[in-house]
Amino acid sequence: MATGMRNKRVAKERQKIDKFGLPPGIELVEGNDLKEWLFDIRVLDSNPIYDGNIFRLKFVFSDTYPIEPPEVTFIERPNRPIPIHPHIYSNGIICLDLLGNQGWSPVQSAESVCMSIQSMLTSNTKNERPPGDEEFVRGNKQRPRDIEFLYHDNTV
Amino acid sequence: MSKSLQLKEEGNRHFQAGDYIGADSLYSKAIIADPKNPALYTNRAMARLKLNHWDSVIADCETCLSLSPNNMKAHYYLAQAQLSLRDYDAALSNALEAHRLCAANNDKSLAAVTSIVLRCKKERWADREKKRLREERELEDRMMDLLRKDRDEMLAAVAPDDEAEKKAVEEEAEQRMTVLRNVFEAAREQNQNKREVPEWAIDDISFNVMVDPVITKTGKSYERASIMEHLRRHPSDPLTRDPLTPADLRPNLALRQACEEFLEKNGWAADW
Repeated sequence: MATGMRNKRVAKERQKIDKFGLPPGIELVEGNDLKEWLFDIRVLDSNPIYDGNIFRLKFVFSDTYPIEPPEVTFIERPNRPIPIHPHIYSNGIICLDLLGNQGWSPVQSAESVCMSIQSMLTSNTKNERPPGDEEFVRGNKQRPRDIEFLYHDNTV
Repeated sequence: MSKSLQLKEEGNRHFQAGDYIGADSLYSKAIIADPKNPALYTNRAMARLKLNHWDSVIADCETCLSLSPNNMKAHYYLAQAQLSLRDYDAALSNALEAHRLCAANNDKSLAAVTSIVLRCKKERWADREKKRLREERELEDRMMDLLRKDRDEMLAAVAPDDEAEKKAVEEEAEQRMTVLRNVFEAAREQNQNKREVPEWAIDDISFNVMVDPVITKTGKSYERASIMEHLRRHPSDPLTRDPLTPADLRPNLALRQACEEFLEKNGWAADW
């Protein structure tokens, strides 16, 4: 039997956000749909790589959320570039263990994922894309969570 | 294959295709061919649930339970039919029985059964709440009438030309009625205000109030249905990622009782 956990859980995350707000630098742009949310995030500390930039994150919640991770990507919009980072491909796909089937835990939430991504940007010092970015972006047809990422550089 | 099983499978095909009337009549034929098979009754009950034929659902479930007393599906469908008929106490007790059987047999319907338990608690609370509010309102009206009657009797006893005394009686009566209205109003408001779910009652996976909390090695408790769903895919602790299997889980009885008591008074929280 399908577990319709997603709708209630996403609705409750939304209620919590409406009641308690989000941490600084994270803003819910579109959160009325129970399947797809948009966030704007920015880096709070002055990191020269991202100074003054705002980035847009898209969350897609599948039926099995939160047992399975949400699909989280950066999307490009006017004034919303894809951040440069050794674990973020130029098509917006994010290489973060938390978002993979192995690293995900159902006690994570959209808010906690945003905070992890924010801190991943804050601590970054390399103004570069992942190795093989162009080739990956040209060839990739897979859904992000099914990709077996190779963590080329675990120091980041 | 026996005739009754053939009819049952044909019934299942009709059910899958959304033809519940067709499924109902095929299951009925299967029952005539083999009246002792409990599964035929629960299948027919399932079709009849879809058709909103609550009384026949109940009859089928009861027949099934007389053949097979620990039939999870019969308790589960019975709870749904009784809930639709607003027989809340019976619905809750069958939902809890279905839950107990699911938990004991590691049944995959645990999540669905857990939500029925919550729905029963919520609707039972809402029904009691409605009754309570109606009784309070009736009491308020009656008290008001008594105060008016009291005032009228006192007015009748005052000498006809004593305007000052009449005014005093009216003012006093008015004052009493205001106090009475305020007392009832304050009681109503207090009820509306305390709608907060304590963190300890919430399962961090489904974000629901817990019905059957189980505790892991870290000391953290989760709803049994949620953590089982997680463990089916990843046998790891959600917080530490250490290996964790269903056998490591222990019921958290004190928390279960606390959640039960909380929901008893705050049924709205079953769907906060």
